[in-house]
Amino acid sequence: MPEYKGMVQPVRATLEEMRKIHIEPVPDELKPEKAIEYLDQIRKKFRSFVMAMESCTKCGQCAENCHTYLGTRDPNNIPTNRAELIRKIYKRYFTLEGRWFGKLVGAEDISLDVIEQWYSYFYQCSQCRRCAHVCPFGIDTCEVTFIGRQLLHWLGITPKLHASVGAAMERVGNHTNLPKPGIVDTLEFMSEEIMDEFGVEVEFPVDKPDSDIMYIPSSADFLLNPYTLMGAGMFFTYIGANWTIPSTVTEAGNFGLLFDQYWTQRGNVMRLLNAAQELGIKKIVWGECGHGWRAAKMYIPSLADRPVRWPIVHIHDEIANMIRNKELKLDPSKNSKPVTLHDPCNYVRACGLNENMRTIIRAVTTDFREMTPHGMDNFCCGGGSAILFDDPEMYQRRILLSQKKAEQVRATGVGKNGDGILCAPCSICKAQLYPMVEEHELGVEVKGLVDLVGKALVWK
Amino acid sequence: MPGIIINGVEIEFDEDGFMIVPDLWNEDVARALAASEGITELTDDHWKIINYLRDYFKQYHIAPMVRKLCKETGCSLKYIYDLFPSGPAKGACKLAGLPKPTGCV
Amino acid sequence: MKLLIGQILPYITVTLFTLGILYRLGRWAGARIIHNITLSPWLQTNGQVAVRIGSEAFLFRNLFRFDLALWAGAFLMHFALLNVLGGHIVGFGFLGEQFALIPGLGISPELSKEMSNLLGTTFGILLFLCLLYLLIRRLTLTKVKQVTKPSDNLWLIYLLVLVGVGDIMRLFEQSFGVEYQLVRDYIVALALFKPVVGMELLNNGFFLVHFLLVQILLIVFPFSKLMHLFGMFAERWIVNRVYKDPAPGLPNVDVAAARAAGIGLPSDAAEEGV
Repeated sequence: MPEYKGMVQPVRATLEEMRKIHIEPVPDELKPEKAIEYLDQIRKKFRSFVMAMESCTKCGQCAENCHTYLGTRDPNNIPTNRAELIRKIYKRYFTLEGRWFGKLVGAEDISLDVIEQWYSYFYQCSQCRRCAHVCPFGIDTCEVTFIGRQLLHWLGITPKLHASVGAAMERVGNHTNLPKPGIVDTLEFMSEEIMDEFGVEVEFPVDKPDSDIMYIPSSADFLLNPYTLMGAGMFFTYIGANWTIPSTVTEAGNFGLLFDQYWTQRGNVMRLLNAAQELGIKKIVWGECGHGWRAAKMYIPSLADRPVRWPIVHIHDEIANMIRNKELKLDPSKNSKPVTLHDPCNYVRACGLNENMRTIIRAVTTDFREMTPHGMDNFCCGGGSAILFDDPEMYQRRILLSQKKAEQVRATGVGKNGDGILCAPCSICKAQLYPMVEEHELGVEVKGLVDLVGKALVWK
Repeated sequence: MPGIIINGVEIEFDEDGFMIVPDLWNEDVARALAASEGITELTDDHWKIINYLRDYFKQYHIAPMVRKLCKETGCSLKYIYDLFPSGPAKGACKLAGLPKPTGCV
Repeated sequence: MKLLIGQILPYITVTLFTLGILYRLGRWAGARIIHNITLSPWLQTNGQVAVRIGSEAFLFRNLFRFDLALWAGAFLMHFALLNVLGGHIVGFGFLGEQFALIPGLGISPELSKEMSNLLGTTFGILLFLCLLYLLIRRLTLTKVKQVTKPSDNLWLIYLLVLVGVGDIMRLFEQSFGVEYQLVRDYIVALALFKPVVGMELLNNGFFLVHFLLVQILLIVFPFSKLMHLFGMFAERWIVNRVYKDPAPGLPNVDVAAARAAGIGLPSDAAEEGV
């Protein structure tokens, strides 16, 4: 089982799997030396990383604000200590204080053990940025674990889950290996289901030329989240949009953000821009996916290899705007069960969706209860950054990491009668929470937000 | 999980017990995998689901949406969990020789 | 020895301090803000950015919101430190008569000196107590113990000694204090590269130690965690900046028309609805 000197670690991609995503793993004996070389290259580029390395005062405020530390009580899961796993190396090789005072300031020589520590702890970080949000300086540990994971990837250490998703993205343009026939068949099935359940005719156009709107759903919606897909289809039909789903990039997520921003993430961005150009669309509307929305909204401008001619908005932005303009007729009594909202971290701390999600949920439900804390102060579901590993040790970790979320949900009382709804409009949150609400016996069903909109639409 | 020899053919599995070469699947492989999942006997309902998954995969190169699987086989999700304790993706797909699902699943 | 500490070292200190800080700032500036990682909800104007960064830097907003006990210690410590540093400048600069210079208050030079003494002593003691509090916190609270490196505690002890010596000079002024005039003349002479006067100051052991510790601190400052003074602004400027959302509104969408046309309604149902 994957464990290294008492540290839990996710299952690694094999040599062939790494080669599929263009990485030739570095042999173990060369790893320490190469790690320093790569770190030296990358540290000079990112100021966010330099500042995280050089301006922490170790006040300790991040500790109790990290769901990973709260769940595991492992000192290395305190955000500043997690960053310290790289900082101790950074100090030793790239700062005067580290070279002169060594252990006194916590500097340490690089070794294979340190690299294995990185692998264990950087993949327990959900990159939710709550530490950045509470840090008096705004130090973003997510930037440290991004770079830590990038270094590991270049060394040839990547979780099997992330590597296989990277390969799927390159092969078919989505995380789940969905080929076009599978996409079309599932969407036809969705049309039938909508007709059966809601009595309306909804078509899901795929690769329709000269569409106005390109909708980018999460590929997980095609396997696990039918109502999110149906809700989006019903919304676009309801407003009479000329829309389409591109089969070449049926993916709102971009795991590249989470382990390889240099190649994997960039590749998917180009794919998206190509699809937008080929289909002649005017605006890109993003589906429910937290990290993917951050990758799209905040990273496409800096990763694109050409001017981005299409505004990119989130489906929640547009729905909320229409609700404010009173363009949608909604019947909140269609969602009358008690409901609480889990704020996906990337939505509220990186993408400003805070208010819009609430505008929508208040308009489509009758018994909405806020969690404490919520909005930008919210805690992660414990699956953030796709640490959705399912080998036994890592799965146990996921239960620990979702403990804080479970407490929060329980405190709202929505699941008291076993019929509550936990609205978690992000594919990673959904994938994490589907099993976790069972593990913690929360008495709630996990739903997306578009799911609830679809149900509440009044057609005539 | 180490490879096993079934009917003279060596079948290899990855760390999660999924077949590395799905083309080598046959019913005996499914039975061997069932044992590793703690399923003592493959009933008609097991086979119904396994066969549906295989047929769908042959046609579309992907597992069907879980909702579609339930609807087409007439089995509720809860019943599928009763049949395959690891669930439709990690249990049923494994026995049907499908690759392990990736992404946010 | 006194010649070294009193006349040569100050020049080395100022040079290393200045160059060191420039080196660190240059090192930070050399790395760029590659991707936009500003935290949301976003600030909409540069005025809001100034208020946010100002309230974090000068009021410790986040500490106040998430850890009141830490905020109390940290804020009071820095506030006292700011006043002590300011007190050194104006106190020596105006020989304690600074308050008499404020027009309209009618404060006499004697009163000003007393006020200056009182304020200096108060903030000096407050600073000492806050540093002690922060040190005790580091040594007792589990979560803080877990993130503390030896150097973090050593810095607090160093500052406690430095401040403690200063406080002794204040509290026992008759025996260990220094004459303001002498200090001012000494510093002015150093600053203007004139022949040094007031070297007899260094005969006071407390002054000598205090002065030496300050110089060592300034030399190490640019290479230590104390750079968080500047790091605060550099880091905040990455995560707190203006961002504006693209305008909502979907192209060629007319919801009213679509609903009037009954789009999505099966033909028989659409007829029923009409």
